[in-house]
Amino acid sequence: MNEDCLKLTSYFGERQRTASNGFAADALLDLYGRQGIATSILLRGVEGFGAGQHLRTDRSESLSHDLPLTAVAVDARSRIEALLEPTVDLLRSGLVTLERARLLTGDLETVAPDEAPDEETKLTVYVGRQERVYRVPAFVAVCDLLHRRGIAGATALLGVDGTAHGERERAAFFSRNAATPMMVIAVGSGAKIARVLPELGGLLRQPLLTLERVRICKRDGEQLCRPPMAAESRAGADETQLPVAHKLMVYTSEGALHDGQPIHRAIVRRLRAAGISGATTQRGMWGFHGDHPPHGDRLLQLGRHVPAVTIVIDTPERIQVAFDLIEDLTAEQGLVTCETVPLTRQKPVGARRV
Amino acid sequence: MNVLVWAAVVVIGGAGSVLRFYADGLVSAAAGRDFPYGTMVINVSGAVILGLLSGLALTPSQSLLLGTAAIGSYTTFSTWMLETQRLTEERQYRKAVLNIVVSLALGIAAAALGRLIGMHL
Repeated sequence: MNEDCLKLTSYFGERQRTASNGFAADALLDLYGRQGIATSILLRGVEGFGAGQHLRTDRSESLSHDLPLTAVAVDARSRIEALLEPTVDLLRSGLVTLERARLLTGDLETVAPDEAPDEETKLTVYVGRQERVYRVPAFVAVCDLLHRRGIAGATALLGVDGTAHGERERAAFFSRNAATPMMVIAVGSGAKIARVLPELGGLLRQPLLTLERVRICKRDGEQLCRPPMAAESRAGADETQLPVAHKLMVYTSEGALHDGQPIHRAIVRRLRAAGISGATTQRGMWGFHGDHPPHGDRLLQLGRHVPAVTIVIDTPERIQVAFDLIEDLTAEQGLVTCETVPLTRQKPVGARRV
Repeated sequence: MNVLVWAAVVVIGGAGSVLRFYADGLVSAAAGRDFPYGTMVINVSGAVILGLLSGLALTPSQSLLLGTAAIGSYTTFSTWMLETQRLTEERQYRKAVLNIVVSLALGIAAAALGRLIGMHL
């Protein structure tokens, strides 16, 4: 399968409940499981805030029971459009975005290179937690391949729930959680990504991946372009009539500090102080950036060696402000990308539906 | 020791941990979350009260209910350790050392102060 698909992403709090008093995250993934969505994943973030400016963080142990969640679902356009209404209804507060993506499964040999291979591309590979490739964990093998083929960077994120090839795969305490989904997010030139696709197809038994267009704004301290202004992005946006927001993704490392604290912590604090609408940080478990070989935590260590990804979503005008704030914190390292995302909802409570 | 006392241990122990949860939230909201002030305030305040109780002449049941159940569930060693380890994970080594040293120094001083107050009550 190689088709134009939609990616539905919801950002909300872990303790959020539905009208029937269940947890919103459970209800959402139950829905995705019932509908047999091709791929979906629930990620638990380490820090974040939404339009209500309420900070959720794992800094304090007692307060770590309400972390920011991100639920992603990708499938054919009609199937995701059918999910839109129930997803927005389930979430009392939070942000829901709808983006275009190409979903690739099956034989990747036949994938035609993207129409514009010069464009920067974001590749997301979905694998199972215990999936192995030649006796190596699949996410390690994928990161290794991407590194060898000169992709700019990749980050493996661990999901706690989701669907894979239409089957519900939820992590449980007493379980191997073999098929609980993980995602490896990589950014690189379209041409390089297109070349690596057949190899990924050979590596994975049941490949499941998506391609999206992104702009690389900044890499290792070097500014390549600014996020586009509102008028520019409208032209490239989806044909949907939804209001357009911009999404920045900032890839940093847990070990990269600014003023004594990890860069991602500094970014979230600074954006919140500036009144930006929302940001969420995910801590990866494996990954690389630039020339460093892929790395993760070691058995004996004090500081962690994992990557972190911070997602910031706001109006095109305010993303300009956010970018300036992030600019200063990523003076030497980090990768900053920008995408245009149609919003379906952004309201703390009493949703304004579009 | 009867069933009633043990039932009271269960109830008071539960209440102590709920109190800790809210106290941590209040302190963290007021003092910021860059340093685990919440756990430190809880452990130090718990040390004052336990010191005070030890200075009083309590019956074994009273001491079980107030000392073990109430203060035992209110204070937390494991959270103190986990939060220190989390600080080292993020390379906040100075804060991690301060979290240990200051908690120890204040904790011992608090227990001594509580005991002093208890003996004069």
